[in-house]
Amino acid sequence: MRYDSITEAIGNTPLVRIDPSVHGLRNIDLYAKLEMLNPFGSVKDRPAWHMARPHLENEAGGGGTVVELSSGNTAKALALLAGMHGLKFKSVTNRMRVPEIKELLLLLGAEIEELPGRSECLDPTDTDDPLTRFHQALSEPGSTHLHTDQYFNPRNVEAHAAGTGPEIVKDLDGRAPDWFVACVGTAGSSTGVARVLREHDAGVRVLGLVADKSDFIPGIRTIDEVHQVGLFDPATYDSLAPVTSQEAIDGMLTLIRRCGLLSGPTGGAAYQGAVRHLASVDAELDGTGGRRTAVFIVCDRAESYLSYVRQRRPELLGRARRGHSPSALGDEEIRAQGRAVGVDDARRWIAQGEPRPLVVDLRGPHAYAALHIEGSVNIVDELFEELVRPGLPFSKRTPVLLACPVGEKSLRYAALLSRMGHPDVRSLAGGIVAWRDAGAPLVRE
Amino acid sequence: MRDAPLFLRPRVEPPLASLLGDAPFLHSLVDALGSPLNVLLPEVVAENAERFGAVYRRHHLAGRVYFAHKANRSSSLVRRLAACDPAAVGVDVASLGELRHALGCGFTGDRVMATGPKDREFLWLAARVGATVNVDSVAELEQLAGLVREYGLRRADVLVRLSGFESQDGTGGAGTRMLSRRSRFGTPVAGTDEVWAALERHADSVDLVGLAYHLDTTGLEEKGRALERCVLLMDECRARGLAPRVVDIGGGFGTGYVEDAGEWERWTTALSEAVLGTRPPLTWGGHGYGLRNEAGTVRGAAALYPAHRPVAGPGYLDELLSRPAPVLGRAPATLLLEHLHDLYVEPGRALVDQCGLSLARVLEVRPLGGGADRYLVRLGMNAGDVSLEEHGVLVDPVLLPRGGPAHEAAHDGPVGVHIVGNLCLEADLITRRLVFLPRLPRVGDLMAFANTAGYVMDFHAHHAQRQPSARTVAVTEEDGTWHWCPDEDYWPLTRLQGVPA
Repeated sequence: MRYDSITEAIGNTPLVRIDPSVHGLRNIDLYAKLEMLNPFGSVKDRPAWHMARPHLENEAGGGGTVVELSSGNTAKALALLAGMHGLKFKSVTNRMRVPEIKELLLLLGAEIEELPGRSECLDPTDTDDPLTRFHQALSEPGSTHLHTDQYFNPRNVEAHAAGTGPEIVKDLDGRAPDWFVACVGTAGSSTGVARVLREHDAGVRVLGLVADKSDFIPGIRTIDEVHQVGLFDPATYDSLAPVTSQEAIDGMLTLIRRCGLLSGPTGGAAYQGAVRHLASVDAELDGTGGRRTAVFIVCDRAESYLSYVRQRRPELLGRARRGHSPSALGDEEIRAQGRAVGVDDARRWIAQGEPRPLVVDLRGPHAYAALHIEGSVNIVDELFEELVRPGLPFSKRTPVLLACPVGEKSLRYAALLSRMGHPDVRSLAGGIVAWRDAGAPLVRE
Repeated sequence: MRDAPLFLRPRVEPPLASLLGDAPFLHSLVDALGSPLNVLLPEVVAENAERFGAVYRRHHLAGRVYFAHKANRSSSLVRRLAACDPAAVGVDVASLGELRHALGCGFTGDRVMATGPKDREFLWLAARVGATVNVDSVAELEQLAGLVREYGLRRADVLVRLSGFESQDGTGGAGTRMLSRRSRFGTPVAGTDEVWAALERHADSVDLVGLAYHLDTTGLEEKGRALERCVLLMDECRARGLAPRVVDIGGGFGTGYVEDAGEWERWTTALSEAVLGTRPPLTWGGHGYGLRNEAGTVRGAAALYPAHRPVAGPGYLDELLSRPAPVLGRAPATLLLEHLHDLYVEPGRALVDQCGLSLARVLEVRPLGGGADRYLVRLGMNAGDVSLEEHGVLVDPVLLPRGGPAHEAAHDGPVGVHIVGNLCLEADLITRRLVFLPRLPRVGDLMAFANTAGYVMDFHAHHAQRQPSARTVAVTEEDGTWHWCPDEDYWPLTRLQGVPA
């Protein structure tokens, strides 16, 4: 397929049937609408382009800034679209909770402003939230900000009413599915798709999924937060149900490991929520001979959510490290094998030792630069850990004095190096703190 | 579920729970001393200080925990803290009156930190007794240096309070720009050159001990950035020949008022629904606590203290110290330790967590007309005596029946009440919230508001309409029996004064 612009590749995503042996529903055909295959990677490509297009085509090269409240996929799509048109993009958010997404946005050239946390000393008369102030700033005269306003902009809904919805109907041979399941973020996709499907068949049931209130799933709002979304209309949904981040990850794993769909947690939540909800519908259909169809949206891909998974299911990403590690030593072993030397003896050793010890300062480089023992070498602990893992990084003929802030970490490493066969490695007792407290010299070079 | 009573039951831990369990004792106190009555548990404040100390030890950090005196006016808490390890516990005073009080309670000047807006007298006494002055601006620094010279005082220890950590270049190397609420306190980071110059100019009369900040936010990320920025700025000071050794990160560690996360979540969800009109109001007059309905969409922010806090107090400090800093990548605790800096904190609310309760007598119980089974309950206190609304704190009172448990059976089942105060004023609502109680109170019962020692019990108390203001008593438990004495008679000795021997 040949295009003049990548924006032409937005939409027309595949609708893929989930193997019934995976979801276990006997009377329902479950389809995944693979919005993750949009060119910028998510379902948000559609509304981002549809909302920004009029602005971008008018302002191309004009030096303005596209602004949106987004912590994820809308920001990603808008950053790329703005860049293509010679404009800047700024994302304002208090929901930037996935570090990879933040870094990815910076890579794409986005500017990110994070809103302050809640006040601890509350002023109950101050009831304007930071977002209200954000809107006031945007409407100040002379502002060159182009606000796409995804939570209130009807073009968000239109993008799906014109694209996503009709595509589903077309791919189901002109029929609307009996069930449509979507996670509610801006409510754009669920509202737009639901509108089209119901025009085809008023009997379509729409299930909206929201994040469990104490939980966080990227791109989904909680039941309270949806009420703050201008596009959200409760009448769109036959029911609203919460999903947890654990369910989202379960669903994501099923889609990835069994269906070959590289879905992120939002798609996982939609799958898991769909199967959970449809199970009872399926049971009622048993023996009636009736068949139903359901569609859910796979919003985006897995790769950006590794830290999200690591936080919640570290075992999924765990791998055992090999080699020598200080964490393998017990307290007993550290006491038995670690030699410590007090500040006075250490000073004598450094001044008169034959040979003199190599002094290794395990603190961070910034702290080392500020003040350190003259003649010492700085190898920050995390680097040192990697350095000793395969074997001794020093000659056995070079005595070593290890120093850390309080002499705890250095003792651990002294024990480890001794166990690895180093004959003369000692830890500075009490660390640099004791060194300072004893009035021994620290230099700044 | 929808119509289940929306309780917000308080988090009550052992000593306070045992006190609440002794209704006859509390009734006898109010009988003797009147309603309203504040009750403090000075032993708990010492235990809380020890919990903060444990966080310090876990991270090998040195430095003091300074109690932000403004959270509570009483003497017993300050005196009990004065008896703690002088190297570990100090007091943060924000007025001349608080400074005099702290000194009179047994704090020596070197354990006192003077913060907030300061007049000449406050500065003079702070410098006179060797307190550390948390300097707000260059002008204040000049004023302090002038006083030290003019009155031949010892060189004053100062911390410089900084603000405006949103960096000039937009990101400060942290990738993104973190916005913060504007503060009226502190010197903007952008203007520190002027501060360093003033410190150098007045080197004979002021000694820079360290850098300070206090951000009014619950956001760990914001505070973590400010902390790291201070570590970087300490280095700037050292490069100029100053020798600061302390980073003071202020307070704001928070307290959890509501025990159950589910109750808090159900109530806040219900508030949104009530604002949208999809369920009956939860508040007097349909007050939305800052939320408003604009064309079917909820706008504004709930001006409510986050009453259920899974991480608060010492736990919050621990988390703040443990998460990697954005620029240098190491945890703040590691940064402080490696740079040989001490850590100062000034918790208020968190340090007096579980340290007190406010009692009031039920004076009237009256059905509210209009169909719904709702009642008006008038107490012998007013909104100033338990300023829940001023601080956006929502929590249910504990009902202590006059007659003890045997009487309880008479009324059955939860009931929704509006709790009002003793002022001749429409706005005198103890809480705007419709409070659900396990049963209907009766005249003569007590209502106990738990965990009010931080900002709630006496911060806004007043004498309007000549209503009695609350007396305050200190209580301790010995061998399962509670003893009390007037707050002003409490001293941290083995037995409470005022208890007949």
